[in-house]
Amino acid sequence: MISLVQNELMKLLGKRRFMIIAAIIVVLLSLFTYAQSRQSEAVKERLGDVDWRTELQQRIVDWQNRLSSAGQWKDQLQIQIQQYQYYLDHDVNPSEPGAPTFIRGFVENSAELFLPLLVMIVAVDLVSSERSMGTIKLLLTRPVSRFKVLLSKYIALILSVSLIIFLFGLLSFLISAVMFGNQGWSAPVLTGFSVQGGELNIAGVRLVSQSRYILQQFGLAWFISLVVGTLSFMLSILMRSSAAGMGTMLACLISGAILSSMVSSWESAKYLFMVNLGLMDYMSGSAPPVEGMTLGFSLAVLAVWMLGALAVSFTVFMRKDIY
Amino acid sequence: MSDITLSVNGLRKVIGKRVIIKDLSFELKRGEVFGFLGPNGAGKTTTIRMLVGLIKPTAGSIRICGLDISKQFTKAMSHLGCIVENPELYPFLSGLHNLRHFAVMLSGISHERIDEVVRLVGMQDRIQDKVSTYSLGMRQRLGIAQALLGKPDVLILDEPTNGLDPSGIREMRAFIRFLAEEEGLTVLVSSHLLHEIQLMCDRVAIISKGEIIRIDTVHELLSSEERLVWRLQPEALGKSVLGGLTEILSEDEGSVTTPYSERLAGEWNRLLVEAGVRVLEMNRKLPALEDLFLELTGGEAID
Amino acid sequence: MHSLKVRFIAVFAAVACLLWLLGLGWAVKDYLIGADSVPGLPVAGDEPQPVLKAYKIVALGDSLTRGTGDSEGKGYAGYVGDLLKQDGMDVSLVNLGIKGLTSAQMTEQLKQKEVHRQIGQADIVLMTIGGNDLFDGGQTLSNLTPENLASLGDGFLANLKSVLTAVRAANGRAVVYVLGLYDPFRDLESGDRTSSAVRSWNYKMTEVLSGYSNTVFVPTYDLFQQNTADYLFTDHFHPNEKGYRLMAGRLAALITGGGGRP
Repeated sequence: MISLVQNELMKLLGKRRFMIIAAIIVVLLSLFTYAQSRQSEAVKERLGDVDWRTELQQRIVDWQNRLSSAGQWKDQLQIQIQQYQYYLDHDVNPSEPGAPTFIRGFVENSAELFLPLLVMIVAVDLVSSERSMGTIKLLLTRPVSRFKVLLSKYIALILSVSLIIFLFGLLSFLISAVMFGNQGWSAPVLTGFSVQGGELNIAGVRLVSQSRYILQQFGLAWFISLVVGTLSFMLSILMRSSAAGMGTMLACLISGAILSSMVSSWESAKYLFMVNLGLMDYMSGSAPPVEGMTLGFSLAVLAVWMLGALAVSFTVFMRKDIY
Repeated sequence: MSDITLSVNGLRKVIGKRVIIKDLSFELKRGEVFGFLGPNGAGKTTTIRMLVGLIKPTAGSIRICGLDISKQFTKAMSHLGCIVENPELYPFLSGLHNLRHFAVMLSGISHERIDEVVRLVGMQDRIQDKVSTYSLGMRQRLGIAQALLGKPDVLILDEPTNGLDPSGIREMRAFIRFLAEEEGLTVLVSSHLLHEIQLMCDRVAIISKGEIIRIDTVHELLSSEERLVWRLQPEALGKSVLGGLTEILSEDEGSVTTPYSERLAGEWNRLLVEAGVRVLEMNRKLPALEDLFLELTGGEAID
Repeated sequence: MHSLKVRFIAVFAAVACLLWLLGLGWAVKDYLIGADSVPGLPVAGDEPQPVLKAYKIVALGDSLTRGTGDSEGKGYAGYVGDLLKQDGMDVSLVNLGIKGLTSAQMTEQLKQKEVHRQIGQADIVLMTIGGNDLFDGGQTLSNLTPENLASLGDGFLANLKSVLTAVRAANGRAVVYVLGLYDPFRDLESGDRTSSAVRSWNYKMTEVLSGYSNTVFVPTYDLFQQNTADYLFTDHFHPNEKGYRLMAGRLAALITGGGGRP
């Protein structure tokens, strides 16, 4: 079994998949870090050389001014303002300069779309490429059961997801440490905010170190990516072409991003997997897309979707006639 | 172990309401090359895919070395090597890595065994290169190498000479004969080229519209359809005498065709001579499988 | 059978997988089951003021301070900063203006610790306040009775006093420039009455300011008295870029010419 998994990894390496992914991450990271450093320069320009409190205070005021024209984002913004005010009141810098802060923001922004996208590069043609190349005929005529063949592919997917997240973490650490310096791992982060009835609830707020927060973020990002990977894996079995699978999955992810901002009144949308991908929001304490959604709920919904996709994958794959 | 390595019994495949394969039954013996002959669309590929476990039969059983593939799939498959259609390998891996990839899926294949098959198919020089740089003939050989890795008892080759040049075809033919005769493998070869089968196989099954219409040794098939072509003088007399002795199948300008019979041919000759007919020419003719096929299938074209 | 590279990557990926599982488990534990005992949260204390090299301007107030109507979004405060920079000063500008702020809301804003701290660091404080109290989003225009104006004015002046007290408490030495009101409605039918209300409020503001040291009343009424339409934004309430530049020019002259220069 282990060597079957290694087989799959060998093929992924042979296809240079991880190289491509690493290249994409590097390009995006350079853009992000550049944008970030430009932004802090702009702030410096506007405010002069100031400490973080001044900057944060200015940001709060800027947002307060934006409230009246915020439209549907008003509640979100209001909660953000309250959160920052809380940071300010408790003398905690929400954006301690340094690599960890950058990584924290980068993961938070990447977890819903960018990381799943990278995982899809691997997942979506894990099976369909064997079909389009015709090698599936060789694969399934060995003295290995179809179940084992698929299982080895799935384990390879799990490993790939782990590897991609690791690459992501490593590269963003290296680049941001060079750009912003490697300090602030033990700097505190406020977490445990929750949103109830459009109001920020600070009852559960606590301080954690940045390193702990980031590890937990990566854990959640891994889970999100794995769920998206599993669904892509299913599509890769159901669909002959990798492009069709990729397109379908992409449509789902993007519709999720759109839906998340407008489903607040459509209660049952919370059972859709794409609305539940914002696990990071529960950590940072932004308002969930549908009132009453919690981390536990979202994890459960995602797990059910994942198990369903696995069940479909294995049933179809084991029964399917290969022409 | 018995001599029967592959036995197929009542094999049937129904897709929707269409019966693709109708109750095929045949048995293959150790050391023989068995031909599977039929036009495109006759059901050869579907049958072969059922034999190798890619398609599940609707009914019937397939046993490889006595092991039912629907019940003991992995055990049965360890006795089987196959190439279905083109030998599709991973183009982005080297030949050696491809072999290792498939070796892992069989149990107990050593590095020595891999070297052995590589030598067997004569690929030593290029085995480290990526498959994407191989010619079709080399891919075919690598395909055979992977099929032979697990020392199978049964080798199934779907259109093995497809896309090869004439010398490659000859080489492949010799290699298949070698495997059957020297290594004692059972080789099942499918083809739509009658000529191929005729040169390569011991026995042949002719399949048309999902049914086997004839299974026999190539020799039997041919001899039952052997003809005797006569040139007689005077023609009219000769024809009437011959007509009294046997059936006249056809007549051309100056020649008459009758069935061939080893036992009676001499007798017919004597009787003709006694009747005062000069026998100018007496020609025994083996039919081409083309004719045979046309006859058996009632004129269904082969392409 | 596999190359060392493949085996290494497989093991490595498995280790990474465990690491992320650990992170996931930890997150689930912390956020679902509850985190371990929460250490006391620090509360922002009155730490020593950092010594800033730059000349610090803190702008407080309503939409005028924010810069509503200015195509560049800088407002008078931004232009003051620009003018001072042109003069070769190292300026740090913090703009705490919030659109629609009334004097009552400003007293609330000044209670925030950080705002308090910011003012404490300031070298000068700029302020616009009262416009929203007086015009109340346009409501006042339909009820321009002397009684109504008087009651609005009383509330405003009381708030202004507490604002100034708070600013002084935070910072005893900074010069506080309070910009006066102008009348954007002088062209309207009721222009006479609004103008007189604005004049009387301005007068009362100077009275209040006289009770506090180092406070300067900066009139703007005269700036917009003539060609009002030229200096107002399309909403006929806020100044446009030209209007803001006029206000900034006056302020900058006061700061560089007066006691503002460090």
